[in-house]
Amino acid sequence: MVEEIKKNLYEIASKIEGLYGITFTDRDGVPLLKVTSESAPEPAIKPNFISTFCLAIDQGSKLGLGKTNTLICTYSQYQIVQMNKHPLVVTFVANQQCNLGQILALEAQIDPIASSLALTVTEI
Amino acid sequence: MGCCWSLLCKDDNSSQNGEPNERTHLLVDPISNNIHIQRVSSENLLSRNSNDAPKKTDEQSALTRILQETATNVIDVAAIDSHNLQQQEYIERVKMYNIKINQVLAGNKGALANSLKSCLLEDVPQPEKILSGDLLNREDRHLMTSSLLAAVSAINDIRVDHKEDLVVPFGLGLNS
Repeated sequence: MVEEIKKNLYEIASKIEGLYGITFTDRDGVPLLKVTSESAPEPAIKPNFISTFCLAIDQGSKLGLGKTNTLICTYSQYQIVQMNKHPLVVTFVANQQCNLGQILALEAQIDPIASSLALTVTEI
Repeated sequence: MGCCWSLLCKDDNSSQNGEPNERTHLLVDPISNNIHIQRVSSENLLSRNSNDAPKKTDEQSALTRILQETATNVIDVAAIDSHNLQQQEYIERVKMYNIKINQVLAGNKGALANSLKSCLLEDVPQPEKILSGDLLNREDRHLMTSSLLAAVSAINDIRVDHKEDLVVPFGLGLNS
Protein backbone atom coordinates (compact mmCIF):
# COMPACT_ATOMS: atom_id res chain seq x y z
CA MET A 1 0.00 0.00 0.00
CA VAL A 2 2.88 2.33 0.79
CA GLU A 3 4.26 1.72 -2.67
CA GLU A 4 0.90 2.57 -4.23
CA ILE A 5 0.77 5.85 -2.36
CA LYS A 6 4.34 6.65 -3.35
CA LYS A 7 3.55 5.89 -6.99
CA ASN A 8 0.51 8.14 -6.77
CA LEU A 9 2.58 10.94 -5.29
CA TYR A 10 5.20 10.50 -8.02
CA GLU A 11 2.49 10.87 -10.63
CA ILE A 12 1.15 13.99 -8.92
CA ALA A 13 4.63 15.47 -8.60
CA SER A 14 5.57 14.70 -12.19
CA LYS A 15 2.57 16.67 -13.50
CA ILE A 16 3.82 19.90 -11.97
CA GLU A 17 6.85 21.34 -13.63
CA GLY A 18 9.57 22.24 -11.16
CA LEU A 19 8.18 20.32 -8.18
CA TYR A 20 11.06 18.31 -6.71
CA GLY A 21 9.44 16.51 -3.84
CA ILE A 22 6.65 15.96 -1.35
CA THR A 23 7.39 14.83 2.20
CA PHE A 24 5.08 13.86 5.04
CA THR A 25 6.77 14.29 8.41
CA ASP A 26 5.79 14.56 12.04
CA ARG A 27 6.24 17.78 13.98
CA ASP A 28 9.88 17.00 14.73
CA GLY A 29 10.66 16.51 11.06
CA VAL A 30 10.89 12.71 11.17
CA PRO A 31 9.76 11.48 7.74
CA LEU A 32 6.80 9.12 7.37
CA LEU A 33 6.66 9.19 3.61
CA LYS A 34 9.05 10.87 1.25
CA VAL A 35 8.89 11.28 -2.51
CA THR A 36 11.76 13.33 -3.81
CA SER A 37 13.67 13.66 -7.03
CA GLU A 38 17.44 13.93 -7.19
CA SER A 39 17.24 17.66 -7.76
CA ALA A 40 15.63 18.30 -4.38
CA PRO A 41 17.93 20.33 -2.12
CA GLU A 42 19.10 18.30 0.88
CA PRO A 43 18.69 21.03 3.55
CA ALA A 44 15.00 21.49 2.72
CA ILE A 45 14.07 17.96 3.72
CA LYS A 46 16.17 17.80 6.89
CA PRO A 47 14.35 17.53 10.24
CA ASN A 48 15.87 20.76 11.55
CA PHE A 49 14.39 22.79 8.72
CA ILE A 50 10.95 21.18 8.88
CA SER A 51 10.62 21.39 12.67
CA THR A 52 11.25 25.14 12.46
CA PHE A 53 7.91 25.38 10.67
CA CYS A 54 6.17 23.94 13.72
CA LEU A 55 7.88 26.45 15.99
CA ALA A 56 6.87 29.26 13.67
CA ILE A 57 3.22 28.25 13.47
CA ASP A 58 3.00 27.80 17.25
CA GLN A 59 4.19 31.35 17.73
CA GLY A 60 2.15 32.60 14.79
CA SER A 61 -1.06 31.41 16.41
CA LYS A 62 -0.53 34.09 19.09
CA LEU A 63 -0.97 36.84 16.52
CA GLY A 64 -4.71 36.48 16.76
CA LEU A 65 -5.21 35.59 13.10
CA GLY A 66 -6.25 32.02 13.69
CA LYS A 67 -4.55 28.74 12.96
CA THR A 68 -1.74 28.66 10.40
CA ASN A 69 -2.63 26.46 7.46
CA THR A 70 0.12 27.01 4.94
CA LEU A 71 3.52 28.64 5.01
CA ILE A 72 5.18 29.64 1.74
CA CYS A 73 8.85 30.53 1.66
CA THR A 74 10.35 31.81 -1.56
CA TYR A 75 14.12 31.72 -1.80
CA SER A 76 16.35 32.85 -4.62
CA GLN A 77 16.63 29.30 -5.99
CA TYR A 78 13.81 27.33 -4.40
CA GLN A 79 10.26 27.61 -3.12
CA ILE A 80 9.07 25.71 -0.08
CA VAL A 81 5.38 25.22 0.72
CA GLN A 82 4.56 23.69 4.09
CA MET A 83 1.06 22.65 5.07
CA ASN A 84 -0.11 22.12 8.62
CA LYS A 85 -1.94 18.81 8.76
CA HIS A 86 -1.82 18.32 12.50
CA PRO A 87 -0.08 16.15 13.72
CA LEU A 88 1.74 16.02 10.39
CA VAL A 89 3.54 18.56 8.24
CA VAL A 90 3.46 18.25 4.45
CA THR A 91 6.42 19.90 2.73
CA PHE A 92 6.63 20.65 -0.98
CA VAL A 93 9.99 21.55 -2.46
CA ALA A 94 10.02 23.28 -5.82
CA ASN A 95 12.29 25.41 -7.92
CA GLN A 96 11.94 29.14 -8.42
CA GLN A 97 9.93 28.84 -11.65
CA CYS A 98 7.32 26.44 -10.29
CA ASN A 99 3.71 27.58 -10.25
CA LEU A 100 2.76 27.83 -6.58
CA GLY A 101 -0.95 27.84 -7.35
CA GLN A 102 -0.64 24.33 -8.73
CA ILE A 103 1.06 23.17 -5.52
CA LEU A 104 -1.61 24.76 -3.34
CA ALA A 105 -4.30 23.09 -5.44
CA LEU A 106 -2.78 19.71 -4.58
CA GLU A 107 -4.08 20.04 -1.03
CA ALA A 108 -7.35 18.27 -1.82
CA GLN A 109 -5.45 15.31 -3.31
CA ILE A 110 -3.00 15.21 -0.41
CA ASP A 111 -5.63 15.37 2.34
CA PRO A 112 -6.82 11.73 2.31
CA ILE A 113 -3.23 10.49 2.38
CA ALA A 114 -2.36 12.87 5.22
CA SER A 115 -5.37 11.86 7.28
CA SER A 116 -4.54 8.16 7.04
CA LEU A 117 -0.88 8.77 7.83
CA ALA A 118 -1.91 10.91 10.80
CA LEU A 119 -3.29 7.77 12.43
CA THR A 120 0.24 6.41 12.54
CA VAL A 121 1.50 9.31 14.61
CA THR A 122 -1.49 9.50 16.93
CA GLU A 123 -1.42 5.78 17.68
CA ILE A 124 2.15 5.92 18.97
CA MET B 1 -18.38 56.36 48.60
CA GLY B 2 -17.95 55.95 52.36
CA CYS B 3 -21.59 55.27 52.58
CA CYS B 4 -21.34 52.43 50.11
CA TRP B 5 -18.49 50.77 51.98
CA SER B 6 -20.26 51.00 55.29
CA LEU B 7 -23.29 49.39 53.76
CA LEU B 8 -21.22 46.55 52.36
CA CYS B 9 -19.46 46.05 55.66
CA LYS B 10 -22.73 45.99 57.44
CA ASP B 11 -24.00 43.14 55.34
CA ASP B 12 -20.81 41.14 55.77
CA ASN B 13 -20.58 41.58 59.49
CA SER B 14 -24.17 40.87 60.16
CA SER B 15 -23.83 37.55 58.39
CA GLN B 16 -20.59 36.57 60.14
CA ASN B 17 -20.10 38.23 63.56
CA GLY B 18 -23.41 39.65 64.49
CA GLU B 19 -24.29 43.31 64.57
CA PRO B 20 -21.64 45.92 63.64
CA ASN B 21 -21.29 49.22 65.42
CA GLU B 22 -20.01 52.58 64.34
CA ARG B 23 -16.43 51.61 65.31
CA THR B 24 -16.21 48.78 62.81
CA HIS B 25 -13.20 49.30 60.53
CA LEU B 26 -14.19 50.08 57.01
CA LEU B 27 -11.11 48.61 55.28
CA VAL B 28 -10.72 45.40 57.24
CA ASP B 29 -13.30 43.43 55.41
CA PRO B 30 -12.26 44.08 51.81
CA ILE B 31 -8.68 43.01 52.61
CA SER B 32 -9.71 39.86 54.40
CA ASN B 33 -12.06 39.09 51.53
CA ASN B 34 -9.17 39.33 49.06
CA ILE B 35 -7.06 36.94 51.06
CA HIS B 36 -9.96 34.57 51.36
CA ILE B 37 -10.43 34.48 47.59
CA GLN B 38 -6.75 33.75 47.02
CA ARG B 39 -6.82 30.96 49.57
CA VAL B 40 -9.66 29.32 47.77
CA SER B 41 -7.82 29.47 44.44
CA SER B 42 -4.72 27.77 45.84
CA GLU B 43 -6.46 25.39 48.16
CA ASN B 44 -4.47 22.40 47.03
CA LEU B 45 -1.15 24.05 47.69
CA LEU B 46 -2.20 25.08 51.15
CA SER B 47 -3.41 21.66 52.10
CA ARG B 48 -0.08 20.16 51.12
CA ASN B 49 2.16 22.76 52.75
CA SER B 50 0.09 23.67 55.75
CA ASN B 51 3.18 24.81 57.70
CA ASP B 52 4.25 27.39 55.10
CA ALA B 53 3.10 30.91 55.36
CA PRO B 54 -0.07 31.04 53.27
CA LYS B 55 0.64 34.51 51.97
CA LYS B 56 3.97 33.50 50.46
CA THR B 57 2.57 30.52 48.53
CA ASP B 58 -0.27 32.68 47.33
CA GLU B 59 2.15 35.21 45.96
CA GLN B 60 4.30 32.57 44.33
CA SER B 61 1.42 30.77 42.69
CA ALA B 62 0.04 34.07 41.45
CA LEU B 63 3.46 34.94 40.08
CA THR B 64 3.90 31.63 38.28
CA ARG B 65 0.42 31.98 36.87
CA ILE B 66 1.20 35.43 35.53
CA LEU B 67 4.48 34.16 34.06
CA GLN B 68 2.73 31.27 32.34
CA GLU B 69 0.05 33.51 30.92
CA THR B 70 2.66 35.93 29.64
CA ALA B 71 4.64 33.11 28.06
CA THR B 72 1.59 31.82 26.22
CA ASN B 73 0.57 35.25 24.96
CA VAL B 74 3.87 36.85 24.07
CA ILE B 75 6.01 35.95 21.07
CA ASP B 76 9.55 35.89 22.38
CA VAL B 77 11.77 34.94 19.48
CA ALA B 78 14.97 34.85 21.55
CA ALA B 79 13.48 32.35 24.00
CA ILE B 80 12.42 29.87 21.31
CA ASP B 81 14.57 26.85 21.81
CA SER B 82 14.70 24.54 18.84
CA HIS B 83 14.54 20.97 20.01
CA ASN B 84 17.04 18.95 18.05
CA LEU B 85 16.43 15.24 17.84
CA GLN B 86 19.25 12.92 18.70
CA GLN B 87 20.44 10.76 15.84
CA GLN B 88 19.56 7.58 17.71
CA GLU B 89 16.05 8.78 18.53
CA TYR B 90 15.54 9.85 14.92
CA ILE B 91 16.49 6.43 13.56
CA GLU B 92 14.29 4.66 16.08
CA ARG B 93 11.32 6.80 15.23
CA VAL B 94 11.77 6.28 11.48
CA LYS B 95 11.79 2.52 12.04
CA MET B 96 8.73 2.71 14.28
CA TYR B 97 6.84 4.80 11.71
CA ASN B 98 7.70 2.38 8.91
CA ILE B 99 6.21 -0.50 10.84
CA LYS B 100 3.16 1.46 11.95
CA ILE B 101 2.43 2.88 8.48
CA ASN B 102 2.11 -0.59 7.01
CA GLN B 103 -0.28 -1.65 9.76
CA VAL B 104 -2.43 1.48 9.58
CA LEU B 105 -2.59 1.56 5.79
CA ALA B 106 -3.52 -2.10 5.60
CA GLY B 107 -6.51 -1.30 7.79
CA ASN B 108 -7.58 1.70 5.71
CA LYS B 109 -6.88 0.19 2.32
CA GLY B 110 -10.43 0.44 1.00
CA ALA B 111 -10.93 4.04 2.04
CA LEU B 112 -7.65 5.18 0.57
CA ALA B 113 -7.82 3.29 -2.72
CA ASN B 114 -10.58 5.53 -4.09
CA SER B 115 -8.75 8.72 -3.31
CA LEU B 116 -5.59 7.65 -5.10
CA LYS B 117 -6.98 8.21 -8.57
CA SER B 118 -4.79 10.83 -10.15
CA CYS B 119 -6.52 10.91 -13.56
CA LEU B 120 -10.11 11.54 -14.47
CA LEU B 121 -9.85 9.42 -17.60
CA GLU B 122 -9.19 5.76 -17.11
CA ASP B 123 -6.92 3.65 -19.20
CA VAL B 124 -8.57 1.17 -21.58
CA PRO B 125 -6.43 -1.99 -21.60
CA GLN B 126 -7.55 -3.47 -24.94
CA PRO B 127 -9.00 -0.77 -27.19
CA GLU B 128 -9.28 -3.05 -30.23
CA LYS B 129 -12.08 -5.03 -28.54
CA ILE B 130 -14.23 -1.96 -28.15
CA LEU B 131 -13.30 -0.60 -31.56
CA SER B 132 -14.09 -3.90 -33.34
CA GLY B 133 -17.55 -4.22 -31.75
CA ASP B 134 -20.75 -4.54 -33.78
CA LEU B 135 -22.00 -1.53 -35.66
CA LEU B 136 -25.33 0.09 -34.86
CA ASN B 137 -28.49 -1.27 -36.46
CA ARG B 138 -29.93 0.71 -39.36
CA GLU B 139 -33.28 0.94 -37.54
CA ASP B 140 -31.71 2.29 -34.36
CA ARG B 141 -29.78 4.81 -36.35
CA HIS B 142 -32.87 5.89 -38.21
CA LEU B 143 -34.78 6.27 -34.92
CA MET B 144 -31.99 8.40 -33.45
CA THR B 145 -31.73 10.70 -36.47
CA SER B 146 -35.47 11.10 -36.90
CA SER B 147 -36.13 11.83 -33.22
CA LEU B 148 -33.21 14.24 -33.20
CA LEU B 149 -34.52 16.06 -36.26
CA ALA B 150 -37.99 16.23 -34.68
CA ALA B 151 -36.52 17.67 -31.52
CA VAL B 152 -34.53 20.26 -33.49
CA SER B 153 -37.58 21.34 -35.49
CA ALA B 154 -39.63 21.53 -32.26
CA ILE B 155 -37.03 23.75 -30.64
CA ASN B 156 -36.97 25.99 -33.71
CA ASP B 157 -40.75 26.32 -33.57
CA ILE B 158 -40.80 27.74 -30.06
CA ARG B 159 -42.28 31.23 -30.31
CA VAL B 160 -43.66 33.77 -27.92
CA ASP B 161 -47.41 34.14 -28.47
CA HIS B 162 -47.89 37.85 -27.94
CA LYS B 163 -51.36 38.62 -26.52
CA GLU B 164 -51.05 41.36 -23.89
CA ASP B 165 -49.00 44.49 -23.52
CA LEU B 166 -45.46 43.78 -22.47
CA VAL B 167 -45.24 46.99 -20.38
CA VAL B 168 -47.97 47.41 -17.79
CA PRO B 169 -48.12 50.70 -15.85
CA PHE B 170 -48.58 49.85 -12.15
CA GLY B 171 -51.02 51.89 -10.11
CA LEU B 172 -51.98 54.18 -12.96
CA GLY B 173 -54.10 51.52 -14.67
CA LEU B 174 -56.03 50.79 -11.46
CA ASN B 175 -56.94 54.46 -10.80
CA SER B 176 -58.23 55.10 -14.22
